[in-house]
Amino acid sequence: MTAASDAPMGSDAAVLNVRKLSVAAKERKILDQVSLSFPARSLTAVIGPSGCGKTTFVRTLNRMAELTPGLRVSGSVEYLGQDIYASDVNPVLVRRRIGMVFQRPTVFPKSIFENAAFGLRLVHEDEGVIDQAVTESLQRSGLWDEVKDDLDRPALSLSGGQQQRLCIARALATRPRVILMDEPTSALDPAATQRVEATMQRLKEDHVIVLVTHNVGQAARVSDRTAFLHSGHLVEIGATAEILERPKDPLTEQFITGRFG
Amino acid sequence: MANVLLPGAALDPDDILTRSTGRLFWRTGFDRCIGWILPLLFVVAIFPILDLVYYISSQALPTLTFGELTSTSPTAIDALGVPIITTFEIMLVATLLAVLLGVFGGVATAEFLSPRAAEWIRASANMLAGAPSVIVGYFGFITFCTYFGWGYSYIAGVVTLSFFMTPYVFRTADLAFTSIPRPIREAALGSGAQPIQYILKVGTPIAFPQILTGVFLAMAIGVGETAPLVLTTTHGVLIPPTIYSPVSFLTGLIWSDFSSPGSGLQAVAFQAAFLLMVVVVALNIVVRIVSARYRKRLEGLYQ
Repeated sequence: MTAASDAPMGSDAAVLNVRKLSVAAKERKILDQVSLSFPARSLTAVIGPSGCGKTTFVRTLNRMAELTPGLRVSGSVEYLGQDIYASDVNPVLVRRRIGMVFQRPTVFPKSIFENAAFGLRLVHEDEGVIDQAVTESLQRSGLWDEVKDDLDRPALSLSGGQQQRLCIARALATRPRVILMDEPTSALDPAATQRVEATMQRLKEDHVIVLVTHNVGQAARVSDRTAFLHSGHLVEIGATAEILERPKDPLTEQFITGRFG
Repeated sequence: MANVLLPGAALDPDDILTRSTGRLFWRTGFDRCIGWILPLLFVVAIFPILDLVYYISSQALPTLTFGELTSTSPTAIDALGVPIITTFEIMLVATLLAVLLGVFGGVATAEFLSPRAAEWIRASANMLAGAPSVIVGYFGFITFCTYFGWGYSYIAGVVTLSFFMTPYVFRTADLAFTSIPRPIREAALGSGAQPIQYILKVGTPIAFPQILTGVFLAMAIGVGETAPLVLTTTHGVLIPPTIYSPVSFLTGLIWSDFSSPGSGLQAVAFQAAFLLMVVVVALNIVVRIVSARYRKRLEGLYQ
């Protein structure tokens, strides 16, 4: 995995453009003036020590942060030129275009098929469209071969790693341009982690992926670009190889060499 | 001290694992006693219930006949057919009303209202649940019988009883929806669900067993309530021809017949009590079976 992203940062080609994003909870600042952009076909890892604000950051990108009471968001996040925090934007539509996968698998107590079809059922898609989209997204999440013969089985009977790939399929089914992943492998064993990482590699060919991870090794294995957050500040961002091998900031170096975090 | 045991050396007293002297002796002794005392307390606690079941059954069963249960004669003092049917009618409609109010309320406080407003409603519901039933009955009398002018009637009784049952349904519905794991809710909303879609498609299937338990418990409590009905409807001898007619019910029958001088009427009171007891026990058993079955479906859900 090499691929330094050659898309100029902050260019118009960016799918997501974050400008001076700040998040505060009561008196405490969680994120302070973070600006960066996410070009098409990129997988950006957001790394940093616990409590640096990386989960909050990724949750502001599809307006999930506002589901936590008491968080105030300022600055802007532009999705294809539209500020998702503008007053006339419907957060439900934002979340349909910017999907999310969580730390631990969050399958619903429904069948495998219905889990994958969830986002499409919400918009009352036709049965044929749903069938095709479910098949496709299960294939792309790498779960299809394991479940194709019993899509009616309860999703809760799958293993943790399979459930997480089902959650990825669920996020894919609505064909979002952006997929946010918040430490998607932190609850999985190494074999399941490897499969989810392989899935991410494939997905970045057509999606913008933002991967929050506390695992520098994972960032090195799958990402093109890495952003390092520290106590709410964006310390640096660049090609993963650059950041991990020749970090410019001493904080970054200390973190990736395991001196804190 | 080197932490090594030389070959042939005596065991350090701390290394002997079977000893129980000193404080440890008293602790293990206490543990053993508790193992006896708790079951004993359980027997003490359950004895009144067993005694009650035995006493009521022994009083009711020798005189209870199938004919009485089905007789709807308005003149026979021992005809239980009418109160059985009307109690069923009262419970059916009161439960429907309580479920409507309680579940909608629970959804509102869990998902749609501001935390402040939700807290106020929860506090009010707890107060209502704690209100003596006779107060609720008196409220029903003042409001429905006199102010609304419904008089002693089926409808006044049903509405008052449903007010009494609502907090129990509300509390379980509220708890069922608020205790859905947050990541599950966020996953639904993160997939682009409107809050109401989340409630209908994800929340309700997960919350259902708990809500059902609450509904059955509210029914078990409601069917045994006397005061809300005694104060709002008097004993009709017929199945009420209109909703504004008075109506009889099993608890009311017990209340009036038990204090009657004739032993015949007292026997009828025991028979009605026996029926109620069977219904309440049956409801409790159904709750356990149904909720266990649904809970099984949710095994492995994000905890």
